Amino acid sequence: MGDELLSIDSLHVSVADTEIIKGVSLKISIGEVHAIMGRNGSGKSTLVNAIMGHPAYEITSGTIKFNGVDVEEMEVFERARAGMFLSFQYPASIPGVQVGTFLRKSVSSVRGDSAPSAREFRKELKTHMESLNMDKSFLARYVNDGFSGGEKKRLEILQMLLLNPRLALLDETDSGLDIDALRVVADGINSVAPNAGCLLITHYERLLEHVKPDYVHVMIDGKIVKTGNAGLASELESKGYDWLEV
Amino acid sequence: MMQYPQISIPPRSEHLWRYTPWRRIHPTKVEEMPMADPINFSTGEDSVMDDSSEIGRSFIHSISKVCNLVTIDNEHLELDLRCSGHICAGELNLVSSGKSSLIIRVSGDAGWTGLRVIGEVKGTLSVALINDLAEDGHLLRCEDWTVGRDSTLEISTLSVGGILNKSDIRIDLKLNGAEVRTGIASNGHKSRHDDHHIEIQHSVGHTNSSLVMHAACGGASHSVGTGLLTICEGADGSDAGQVFRNLLLSEKARAEAIPELEVLADDVKAAHGAASAPVDSEQIHYLASRGLNFEEASTLIVEGFLMDAFRQVRNKEVVETLRTRLLVHLECLIKG
Repeated sequence: MGDELLSIDSLHVSVADTEIIKGVSLKISIGEVHAIMGRNGSGKSTLVNAIMGHPAYEITSGTIKFNGVDVEEMEVFERARAGMFLSFQYPASIPGVQVGTFLRKSVSSVRGDSAPSAREFRKELKTHMESLNMDKSFLARYVNDGFSGGEKKRLEILQMLLLNPRLALLDETDSGLDIDALRVVADGINSVAPNAGCLLITHYERLLEHVKPDYVHVMIDGKIVKTGNAGLASELESKGYDWLEV
Repeated sequence: MMQYPQISIPPRSEHLWRYTPWRRIHPTKVEEMPMADPINFSTGEDSVMDDSSEIGRSFIHSISKVCNLVTIDNEHLELDLRCSGHICAGELNLVSSGKSSLIIRVSGDAGWTGLRVIGEVKGTLSVALINDLAEDGHLLRCEDWTVGRDSTLEISTLSVGGILNKSDIRIDLKLNGAEVRTGIASNGHKSRHDDHHIEIQHSVGHTNSSLVMHAACGGASHSVGTGLLTICEGADGSDAGQVFRNLLLSEKARAEAIPELEVLADDVKAAHGAASAPVDSEQIHYLASRGLNFEEASTLIVEGFLMDAFRQVRNKEVVETLRTRLLVHLECLIKG
């Protein structure tokens, strides 16, 4: 499709001296949607956390290049400002910090000189919140504090829409969502996808009914063991993972 | 009644005086009765206040040349207390009724300030005291509140000024249906010493109280939070809770958080807790992933942590005033 955005080559990642990712290579270009599926503990979340630069995840060998630049020495905030976005599986709560304040600061940090004026920001915010069926009272609440699972995921997607990333990493964004919320979240992902690279981590085919992946990868024990098209997700739904084990 | 300086100096074994003893908070030598300039109150009328057998209150009473009465009834009031001179002192009588709110801003460059407050609440009062004194000032603050039948007191403190502060706040829930919600936020930086002692007494049953104190401890600061919750004999149906949390921002900072309960009734709910911890690395990471560098993320977390002390304050106007003042303070700290 478009230009190569993310290039992962022979990546090995350890957490607390235990190797989790054991040689992953992956390329994502602008406009491509990739999905990674796999059992619990297979290393899916570790991969996206390593891409985003979580300090607990140590790259022991291999490279991650974003827009041709090796990101290993980049701080997390620098990756975000460069256009990476991670929708967290379990986003942290920040008691006392209002959602509205947090979003304004985040947009200002990530979009820098091209950040919207206060008026434009409010307009953008209103548009995106309406598209996600979010009430404006959300803005006065504290970030992820006392949120339901679905509210947390909507806030993650709202941030993605506002930050307009080049690379969107979505870690089980579909978990805990009812059918209506899933559709709303999927619409959000689809609106970003044409101008970004997307990497979805999911357990279920149901998200992929709404967001059509160009590639589906299966991860087992820290390795991508199979890559296919959207049909692979259906196959996994019916056959499970056993048939892919060596 | 024995008056200062006849009152004997309390020993450090007393809970109240353990961390900031009387000799330390007294502005001169303890046997002295220094001359004091009056606190300049922005509104109110002349009044008188009885002496007290408690040493801090009696001392402030003895050196004060001003006692100010403020009556509020179904209104929002902002009260400025300007403190100047080497030693400055004053007394404030507050009488509240209806649904009222009050912002008390204590500011100025006084070397030492003594403030005594007696408050009486009928109805609902949300009061916030902002300690905005010059950064080398000392403050002794003594407050006594009584909350009447089916009345509610929200009492908030934002403590960001002064280098040596001692607050002694006592609240008596005297009649059925009385309720108090207390929130204290203290930001420690440099060598700031900030001591809050809060006593809440449930004199009768079916009264509610909550106390939340959050202290952010940076530099070589020292935060002290001591609480004494007393549920008197026969005060059944009381519901009380105290939580002290400290956010440790540097290795040199110190924090004490000591909630104490004295429960003499049988059928009550009483809970207390204290915790001290550094900034949560997952919060930092989350904010970093949204483009905030470490300093920006830390500042936002501290802001949130301090504002969270006012979570139970329902008066939005008061909360927004506290938030605005906190933001100005944090911005000033960043700019040095």
